[in-house]
Parts: sequence; structure tokens; C-alpha cells
Amino acid sequence: MSKTAEEPQEYLLGRIQQALATDDRTGELELDVRIAGGRIFLTGTVATAERRDAVQVVVREVAPDLEVVNELSLPPAGAPGAEEDLPS
Amino acid sequence: MIRLAAVGDLHAGVDSIGKIAPRFEDLPERADVLLLAGDLTRLGEPEEGKVLAEELRSIEIPVVTVLGNHDYHSGRQDDIRGMLEDVGVHVLEGEAAVLDVGGVRLGVAGTKGFGGGFPGASATAFGEDVMKAFVGHTEDVSERLEQALRELKAELRVVLLHYAPIEATLSGERLEIYPFLGSYLLAEAIDRAGADAVFHGHAHRGTEKGVTPGGIHVRNVAETVIGHAYQVYRLGNGVGPER
Repeated sequence: MSKTAEEPQEYLLGRIQQALATDDRTGELELDVRIAGGRIFLTGTVATAERRDAVQVVVREVAPDLEVVNELSLPPAGAPGAEEDLPS
Repeated sequence: MIRLAAVGDLHAGVDSIGKIAPRFEDLPERADVLLLAGDLTRLGEPEEGKVLAEELRSIEIPVVTVLGNHDYHSGRQDDIRGMLEDVGVHVLEGEAAVLDVGGVRLGVAGTKGFGGGFPGASATAFGEDVMKAFVGHTEDVSERLEQALRELKAELRVVLLHYAPIEATLSGERLEIYPFLGSYLLAEAIDRAGADAVFHGHAHRGTEKGVTPGGIHVRNVAETVIGHAYQVYRLGNGVGPER
């Protein structure tokens, strides 16, 4: 008899990452997605607050049964960092 | 001495209207040229290119860019290039631009680059056609970059990439994805042709500073790595007026 256990979390993680990359609402390839304690943790940086929300929507669609902890950051603000000399 | 502002991976979208230009508001006081290291858009759609072009239009110093993998996603990279060129942005792919910066000739050679990995753990053009195509693309863009650099006549010469040419500036990324983040073929081409500095993006969790095997400065200027709207690098001490 074939095994019918619940989907291992590794495959769910793979599906979430595929969806975040290929769904036109997100197009995000660089985010950290971790499943821990039965919750999905999202970290990394997205360009706008709208995209932070869109990521959560897409993840919820892929994994509707798990709570999503959205810890995504927005880009750094205006000021540049200290200048650096690059000697020849 | 010239001052180069650099940042990569802006990922502009239709939701970026009014959010990018303010980040470069005081740029002309701080830098002479702005380098954008690819991934200008989120999905590579023309609507996103249009938003970005409008955001960059008001920048009063020369802007030079390469495209990144995101900018190719919708197959409309040529349209995006055209929109940026219409507002005066120099877009490089296996090409170079020479800018007069206060009497100093600054040459910028650029390419998106591509992946394949680094010595000891790199892909080779062997086996399936798709594998040969993957490695072949990296070889092609590296060769064109080298040619552009060799033909570049300027007092200061920098290279602008999206993908990484060395491993050091990837530190912080998972080792398993290094072959998708860059290729040593890019560094080899740069070291053969010579340059003063190299800038790239793409590796959001990488490290800012590195050096090619031939001793050329490499800086990963992905926005999330530098942690600022842009970073300013001073290049060519003793060349042209001090700033």
C-alpha cells in the first residue's frame, strides 16, 4: 500500500518559493522562507509595502492552513553610506 | 578623482511611482555618476520600465546601468532599454560608455553577466543542450565584456555587472546557489583586460567588499547589502581635480 502521509514541509517550502518567484503579484526570488513551530516565517527585503502584503497573500494561497509571520523589511531610506576610497 | 554612486536591485514596479526619485534627491552634491547594477524592475514589464524611466529622468548626473535577470523575465528587455535610453540613461550589454567627468575620461564597460559558479565548483558546457546553452551564455557575455574593456580608451575604467564575478562578495548567501549568482569567467575576462573597479548586484544577502584574483576591487552594491539608497566610491586619486 502506498504511503499517504501529510506533505513533508520541505515540499511545501519548495512550492512556496516557486510561487513567490513565478507569481506575477510577487516575482520575489530573494526572500527567506522558513517553516518552524507550525508557522511560516518570511524575512528579507521587498521594494514596497504593497509587495510586502502581496507576498503574504501568495503564501497564504499556497499554505492556507498555516499561520504566516510576515517579518519582511522595506529598503533603506535616502541617505548614502560613508564614502569609500578605492585606490588604484 | 571622481565620485561614483552605485546601487543595484531597485526592482521598480508600478507601485514605485514617487518612491525612487526622492532617494537620489541630493545625488549631484555627492557624486559625479550613478551606476545601477541591474534588476531595475520586478518582472521586466514595460509598465515598470516606464515608471523607472520617469523616476530617473530628473537625475542631473549621468546614469549608467546594466539590466539584470528580473529585467529579462517578460522578454521585453529591449523595450525597457529603449525607455531608459529615451531619458538619457546609458544601458550597457557587452558595450562601454565614455563619460567626461570634470575633464576626466571615465570608461564604464558593462554586461548583465550570468551564472556558472567558481573554480572547483563550476558548471561546464557538457551534456544536455540546455547545459551547454547555460554555460555558453556566460562564456559569450564574458567574451563581449573583455572585448569592450580592451577597446575602452579612458583614464579610469570601471566594470558594471549584475551577476557576481567572484565568490567573496557572495559570502552570506547559501553555498548551494553560488552557481546561479555569478561566474569566475567574468572576473577572468576583467583581469585579462584590466580595470580600476568592478560593481555588481544580484546577491542580496552577500557581502560588499571583495577583490578579483588579479587584484581589482569588487563591490557588491545590492541595495540590501550596502544598507543605503546608494554608496559613494572615490576613484582615481591624483587623476583630474580633487572633489
